[in-house]
Amino acid sequence: MPDAPSGMVTLTIDGHEVAVPKGTTLLEAAKRVGKDVPHYCWHPGLSAPAQCRMCLVEVEGAPKPQPACVTTVMEGQVVKTESPQALSNREGVLEFYLVNHPLDCPICDMSGECLLQDYVHAEGRKHGRSHEPKRVFGRDDFGGDVLFYGDRCVMCTRCVRFMSEVERDDRLTVVERGNRSVIDTFFDEGLEGTHFHGNIVDICPVGALVSKEFLHKARAWDLSHEPSVCASCSQGCNVELHVRDNLVQRVKPRENIEVNAWWMCDYGRHDYEWMNEGDRIEAPLVRDAGGATRALGWKEALHALLERAGGVSNRSVRAVASARASNEDLGALAELVGALGGGETVFRSRRAADEIVLKGFPKLARRRDLAPNLQGAELLGMQRVGSDDATGGLEGVRDHDGIVVVLGDALDDQDASFGGKAGLFVYLGAHAGAAARSAHFVLPVTTHAEQEGTFTNHEGRVQRFWPALRAPGMARPAWLVLGALVAELTDGSVSRSASAAFARLSDAVFAFAGMSYDSLGSRGAVARVPAGASSGSSGAGA
Amino acid sequence: MAYPYVSDREARVISKHFGDPMQRRVDTYVERGGYGALKKAFAVAPAEVIDVVKASGLRGRGGAGFPTGVKWSFMPKEPTRPHYLICNADESEPGTFKDRELMRWDPHQLIEGCLISAYAIRAKHVYIYCRGEFFETNQVLARAVEDAYAKGYVGMDILCSGNDIDVTVHQGAGAYICGEETGLMNSLEGRRGLPRLKPPFPAAVGAFGMPSTINNVETLSAVPHILSNGGEWYRQWGSEKSPGTKLFCVSGHVRRPGNYELPLGFPLSELIDDVCGGMREGRTLKAVIPGGSSVPIIDAAEARACKLDYEGCAAVGTMLGCASVIVMDDSADIVKQVRRMVDFYAHESCGQCTPCREGSAWTAQILRRIEDGHGTEEDLDTLMEITQQMVGTTICVLSDSVAAPVQSAIKKFRGDFLARMQQPAGVA
Amino acid sequence: MSGQAGEAPFKNPGWAGNTGEFDLTEAEVRGDDFVGKRPKHGGHPSGAGTLPYMLAEKHPEAPLFEGEHKERLDKILTRYPDKQAALLPALSLAQEIRGHVSPETMDRVAELLDLSPAYVRGVTTFYTMYNRRPVGRYLVQVCTNISCNLCGAEEVLETFLRYTDTELGETSDDGNFTVIEAECLAACGYPTCVQINSRYYENVTADEVLKIVDHLKARGD
Repeated sequence: MPDAPSGMVTLTIDGHEVAVPKGTTLLEAAKRVGKDVPHYCWHPGLSAPAQCRMCLVEVEGAPKPQPACVTTVMEGQVVKTESPQALSNREGVLEFYLVNHPLDCPICDMSGECLLQDYVHAEGRKHGRSHEPKRVFGRDDFGGDVLFYGDRCVMCTRCVRFMSEVERDDRLTVVERGNRSVIDTFFDEGLEGTHFHGNIVDICPVGALVSKEFLHKARAWDLSHEPSVCASCSQGCNVELHVRDNLVQRVKPRENIEVNAWWMCDYGRHDYEWMNEGDRIEAPLVRDAGGATRALGWKEALHALLERAGGVSNRSVRAVASARASNEDLGALAELVGALGGGETVFRSRRAADEIVLKGFPKLARRRDLAPNLQGAELLGMQRVGSDDATGGLEGVRDHDGIVVVLGDALDDQDASFGGKAGLFVYLGAHAGAAARSAHFVLPVTTHAEQEGTFTNHEGRVQRFWPALRAPGMARPAWLVLGALVAELTDGSVSRSASAAFARLSDAVFAFAGMSYDSLGSRGAVARVPAGASSGSSGAGA
Repeated sequence: MAYPYVSDREARVISKHFGDPMQRRVDTYVERGGYGALKKAFAVAPAEVIDVVKASGLRGRGGAGFPTGVKWSFMPKEPTRPHYLICNADESEPGTFKDRELMRWDPHQLIEGCLISAYAIRAKHVYIYCRGEFFETNQVLARAVEDAYAKGYVGMDILCSGNDIDVTVHQGAGAYICGEETGLMNSLEGRRGLPRLKPPFPAAVGAFGMPSTINNVETLSAVPHILSNGGEWYRQWGSEKSPGTKLFCVSGHVRRPGNYELPLGFPLSELIDDVCGGMREGRTLKAVIPGGSSVPIIDAAEARACKLDYEGCAAVGTMLGCASVIVMDDSADIVKQVRRMVDFYAHESCGQCTPCREGSAWTAQILRRIEDGHGTEEDLDTLMEITQQMVGTTICVLSDSVAAPVQSAIKKFRGDFLARMQQPAGVA
Repeated sequence: MSGQAGEAPFKNPGWAGNTGEFDLTEAEVRGDDFVGKRPKHGGHPSGAGTLPYMLAEKHPEAPLFEGEHKERLDKILTRYPDKQAALLPALSLAQEIRGHVSPETMDRVAELLDLSPAYVRGVTTFYTMYNRRPVGRYLVQVCTNISCNLCGAEEVLETFLRYTDTELGETSDDGNFTVIEAECLAACGYPTCVQINSRYYENVTADEVLKIVDHLKARGD
């Protein structure tokens, strides 16, 4: 028998032989042969107390069943996760959980995505044997966004350990002991003032910790999960948008160990209502000389736009972009500016007073830049202007007498005379504010939640997001609209997909060279930054 | 001295001075040869001290019965980090009252044992974790430690040997589970007293993350005698596998309850009838728990056949545990006592592991219902099954301790339970 | 005051079975004669954490920690590698002074030891001996575990409740007594064992309870 490569251990799990690195736990090794051993208290981002006793597996030669989450592999071990003993252990532990559990699934938010439901349904007893009165803890408001239903709690202590080990703010504890033990805060102190407490609702395996905002809002099985990237700051946490009735109902983090691990901050988590906002620009609008607007089809509108552009004497462009637009949108804007006659593009972006770092996973912080694609804009040569509350900075644009193009900036701080002197003023956005009143063309574009695309985060990581909502009315992605204009102006071809739009970028921009949607996958990759590039960009090598 | 009852069958090694208040004084202790064993220990290498204790076959007297010398040998030989010796004086097992007596009558014996043990495992600090309720006992012990410091038996450069060993008396706050060695370490560190997973074992990662050894009071009290007289001397009592003497705590329905130091292997029937004066007037033996409430109950026949050592108790289907003999005569209400014991475990469960947290309370509820006369035979089957789910499935063995009295009582005294189902509590 | 070699007017002053062949005084058994009163500042640091008396006089608003009590806490802190390990002794000391561990007390101790208040709450509530509510002058803890139970502990408990005129776990109207059940107090050979504040009363039978109660009421302390 040849020697195993050093550092690898071979063992048998449920009859399947598998080789894993030394130090791997039985739980992780089982995953590699496709076995998900049921567990509660273990979580990849937290310590492993092995106290729920759900993951006990039979190990040949061991006198007692072993907890798979902390037992490390040994050469030649024979492990059974489905033996009669293992099954009877799990059935027994589940029965113990249900002795005092209120079985209030009909009114519990977790129903449909609850690990107690799932495990009991799969392996629990059909009937409980307890005839005794249940102990009652009731509902407790932990402050922040969190409600605690003590009766449903399985005492896995993931929440306590998250606050202690990851947020590093010991706000939760177990009080009392034995079956009187319950999770609690320090009396009224609660979770106020913490910034990542929403994560404890994610990691709670049952409906003990629930979000107040999401309380009784939607049933888990009615929600579709769409992978996206958080647009609240430049960290670029990978998220899932959970959608029902074409509305985002909640946001959950998506695992990416390079960016946010399993976590996200409370600000981003609750910053989605704007994606559901109505009152959208429904169709391309053209304004006539008298100031009235009428709706046109896209082809007519773009045709009229190009005609007007052709008749403008000063073809220099002043563009206002947005750090919330995707790389593809911004790339197309840059191309359009060049095709029209060249000019400057600026953007404003909100900036917070400080960073809020997740101490237990410091790669993740609520960054100061409160927009997802500031890096993308800068890599395309766009310049940030204005103050930290995203006002001002547009003095060079508002009275320009050439071509003014505004993409995605609501111009809330500008008045109705903005762009009034322009030969051509095109406004592309989701909502039309007062300052768009002078625009000759108001074109509806999609938000990032309604299109496919990429953002570049604070460290230069380019990450894909997918559409979660259907675009309203005739809204289209900005890269498509602007790309169509560019194609007409240059006699070129139009990108027909976000992937193709990104390919144009990676061809044209050094930072994105060599990247493609395939290569980015669902985890992203870091852009190249030339030596001496502007501050804020980082990430050597793709 | 006759404190309070003494039998001539006893072999009083560590309990020799029970009842003698002078023994607390360091001068008296030294006059009687005290701290001589410490000098002997310092004169040889720590490894040799471990060998002497190994040779004696001394087994942990706290209930687990693990060979002490072997436990000590798990500690790193070359300390690169601080080592700790922890004396487990958190005596809370129902039926046990020996450590309290040892500490209040012969505190210097314990201190000397701690010092020798610390030397053997290369520890510079000893924590004596005393039960919080033992206020008076702790005062005696603390005063003894203070006197020992004053006389140079504890502290820096003890007896000019170059060895520095400190002793701290640490008081608990009322939790049985802190008598479990890993729960004790967590409590010592200022945490909730939750037992830890093993591995890692205390000798690798113990108190404050440092290599530690935890020994019971009685174990450590025997150490000076073993050092003074040699390992072989200790083997004159007991058997090959269970050598030495043991303090038996007898309580319940005997005429003369109390602590008796006897050779291991002493017959249980003679302990009850001879040493303790037998049953009370007009009563017959019904049941015995030979090792504290965590071991299976044995009936009168098994008790008559039982020899009180680790192997002897195993032979009749129980365990020696900490040798706390609880005697019940025919007036005892088995159902009530089992319920009371399970109430105790439910109260003391730390709550980490699901089978124990939920199972102990559920078991107590069912037993209470049976005691009140509302039980069924099906309940007995349920009890057997759910307590079986509590055996071997948890981090520590408190869970197993619930199963022991319940299962043994149902097996051996089923009639008592069935009778209860026809008659509610209060009717004999 | 606990630790006094006082006269108790009942037949079992603290050791098992007064058979007449046994002539130790109560003080000798308890060790009171040897130990005497321990100073508030804790004496030698090795024992500084063990001393809490259950003081009959409680001061719920007393500062933590001042004067000799502060001296004691500082001594305690020198015995452990980190501050967290001093948590149990610090809570015990705080309870001694204030009578029970209130949320404010938890918060203050947390502050002193650089721990979070929630953490201190978790530790406090784990241990039985920390009173979360004020208790009477005398906390009467009657062991009803198996060894004492076999020898009439429940009767002793009921008698205490009757003579102190209080419910289990509640404080009597005159503020003198709180009566609770205790788990095994490690005096099983001397049933029934009752712990009143710091002091053990052993071999208590139901017919002695009244004398104990009257003795305590009269004592003042």
